[in-house]
Amino acid sequence: MTRPAARLHLLLACLPWLAACAPSSDDVPAVAAIRVGTELASDQTLRRAVDQMPRTLDPTLLTDIPAQHISDDLFEGLTTLAVDGSIIPGVAERWQVSADGLHWTFHLRNARWSNGDRLTAHDFVYAWRREVDPRTGAEYAQSLAPLRNALAVTAGKLPVTALGVEALDERTLRVELEAPTPYLLALLTGNFMMPLHRATVERFGDDWTRPGNMVSNGAFMLEEVVIGNRITLRRNPNYWAADTVRMERVIYYPIDRAEQNARFLAGELHLTDSFPIQQYQWLRQRLGDQVATAPYLGTFMLGLNMRKPPFAGNRALRMALTLAVDREILVSKVRQGVYVAAYSTVPPLAGYESAQPSWRRLDDAARHALARQYYAEAGYGPGRPLQVELNYPTDSDNRYIYEAIAAMWRMNLGADVRPYNEEFRVMQQNRRLHLLDLFHHAWIGDYPDPYTFLQIFQTGFGINDGAYSNPQYEALLTRANQQPDNTVRYRLLREAEAVLNEDVPNIPLYFYACRHLIKPYLKGLQVNVLDRNLSRHMYLLQHEGT
Amino acid sequence: MRRFLLQRLLTALPTLLVIITLAFLLLRLTPGGPFDGERPMLPEIRASIAAKYHLDESLPRQYLHYVSDLARGDLGPSFQYRNTSVNELIEQGLPVDLTIGGLALLLAVVIGGMLGATAALHRDSWLDRTLVAFALIGISMPVFVTAPLMILVFAILLQWLPAGDWVSGSVRHLVLPVIALALPHIAYIARMLRAGLIEALQSPYVLTARAKGLPEWQILLRHALRPALLPLLAFLGPAFAAILTGSIVVENVFGLPGIGRHFVTGALNRDYTLVMGVTILYGVMIIVFNLLTDLGQAWLDPRIRRAHAA
Repeated sequence: MTRPAARLHLLLACLPWLAACAPSSDDVPAVAAIRVGTELASDQTLRRAVDQMPRTLDPTLLTDIPAQHISDDLFEGLTTLAVDGSIIPGVAERWQVSADGLHWTFHLRNARWSNGDRLTAHDFVYAWRREVDPRTGAEYAQSLAPLRNALAVTAGKLPVTALGVEALDERTLRVELEAPTPYLLALLTGNFMMPLHRATVERFGDDWTRPGNMVSNGAFMLEEVVIGNRITLRRNPNYWAADTVRMERVIYYPIDRAEQNARFLAGELHLTDSFPIQQYQWLRQRLGDQVATAPYLGTFMLGLNMRKPPFAGNRALRMALTLAVDREILVSKVRQGVYVAAYSTVPPLAGYESAQPSWRRLDDAARHALARQYYAEAGYGPGRPLQVELNYPTDSDNRYIYEAIAAMWRMNLGADVRPYNEEFRVMQQNRRLHLLDLFHHAWIGDYPDPYTFLQIFQTGFGINDGAYSNPQYEALLTRANQQPDNTVRYRLLREAEAVLNEDVPNIPLYFYACRHLIKPYLKGLQVNVLDRNLSRHMYLLQHEGT
Repeated sequence: MRRFLLQRLLTALPTLLVIITLAFLLLRLTPGGPFDGERPMLPEIRASIAAKYHLDESLPRQYLHYVSDLARGDLGPSFQYRNTSVNELIEQGLPVDLTIGGLALLLAVVIGGMLGATAALHRDSWLDRTLVAFALIGISMPVFVTAPLMILVFAILLQWLPAGDWVSGSVRHLVLPVIALALPHIAYIARMLRAGLIEALQSPYVLTARAKGLPEWQILLRHALRPALLPLLAFLGPAFAAILTGSIVVENVFGLPGIGRHFVTGALNRDYTLVMGVTILYGVMIIVFNLLTDLGQAWLDPRIRRAHAA
């Protein structure tokens, strides 16, 4: 992309800036240090793709992943993400937490908005109250549930001022929680926790997110939005660490995955958001190390309707189905070896040892034999095969996986399972109304903690579409949530996960992986479990050709 | 003729109203709503959003609301893009489609016309057979095959042209999408014109013209072309409307910000107002171009003119 004639030699010393230390965090450099003698490209314009056009750029209201990526560049919360996705101080320089884990005090650094105004603790109070205010209509309002009174405020039972957040002075923010929340620092990086420039929001109303109106506090600010084509960001000179940001511009292109590949191969993109999994081997052969994959915080599974036959009250049948799926074949053959087989619900997380079902260690023959045993115990066999529909959303990327699973059940049990696809919203409505017996179920975690996965099987939880309900399971989750000691908490969550393995309200199949194409001269990014890569860390090296 | 025009304009309004009503009802009957995300939403939040977009009102009230806004030229707010109106989306997307579609049609008419005329004049020669074969390939190859192939060859392998994107004023970015969109139409026009001309060239009045010793080019332009254009015109009317309201495939493959993509994403996301807006625009275009086609045919063929007058 850069012409050799226009080379600019930048001899950069190791960046002097290191993240401020916090009582609960080790010293972590927030940005990738550039080695002395590194030659940067003269044009520091990052061209990256997102899968679709964001629905809004308002951090309070946005819900889609493309918008979250862009929000990561436009806004910064109390904490933020390092190159490797780990949590580092953001607007908050340091913080203290009370012994019971319920009160947090954040000390803000001297930060400014893109228009030069001083950023204060009041900006966080305003933004968080706006998020939980039911009049705002923020779809992710319940993400603030760990904050004191958040749910009661959202339900309209308490005024927004009752929310557990308070500005002690311009640069000190006090947060009160319902229960100890060990993942709070990760939660604070979420778009729904970003501060807002009150005067701008109040002056422009819904239009405050338009270019020219928007005032942001992140490393970049909004320059241009062409719906269906591009969103351009420009470096924010008022960002508190502006001297560490190398990219002058970031252009996000909302395009389909297959088209992202073409644009990357034509040298028009530095970084893609994803690629169709069927193309993995072809891309690897052609592009080698430019293809990057890494575990992603998401589980792909099947849901079972626990309210009606054939699965309600028939654990043996549920066991037979989960045992008869050859997950290793699914991930290696149908998913090209990109994903990791899942035998339990929670994906691998640092510090958490997932509960594994007892049958995990069985070889294929023994597992299939046990499956047949359960199948017979459930009252099914050659004379009376299980006949059920497997519902999934219309998506060519997923079709093969359902065909393969149905074939495995046919082969290993003799069950007659018919994959049936419907448009996503149609399937979702039927699933929510508990009309489906066996269905597609996937979940992407909000923060790196087992609770984000285990909560979905709580009675009445919005996405508990199989209507699973077990008082023992819920008691374990409640106890875990009251536990200030994270080791004990993780043990309780593990026990809860073991209950799921025992009850089989779902059939975990594999854990997702994020997949990107990255130009070799784009540096300062490391594919991570959250699949969030901030442009502020990235830079382009001098290069020839595309 | 004036009466005919008036008649057509008068029937256009009820036709549009039927389109609007049907589209409105079909959209509301489709399962799933615009704010049914994968994640659960608290009932209080759902109620707040529903109130903002009048979704909490009865269906007849919503309909009246929509139609009265429409009468003022307001197509409503997009449900999908939260602080954007449908009018804005169409204003932003239509110039892109008009540029790409207009150029593609121009190219299709010029090249297709030349190829069709050449094939007809050299009927059954090797040139004719080659052109017919190419036209067949052009018709059989859908855009979702030709467009990525063109990207592979011209953008990835040769790196002559960009693989996509829309940069206002950049001719380089227009080349591939315009050609991709024009190709099947070139083929259609060439085939239709060839067939029409061959038929016309065999008719008795052409024989008479030849007997009178008129030069071949004059026979072609003055006597054969007019009747040969009649079926072509019937095809071009709806084709114009379809191309100018955006080609979904071309827009997707080349990442163009036209309104064709809005139609698909709008339907998938249950963006009621956006789908309605694009449907109405398409309906108006169809009505207008059909009318223009009828006028064009009347201008070309005196028999049709007389029938209208009667």
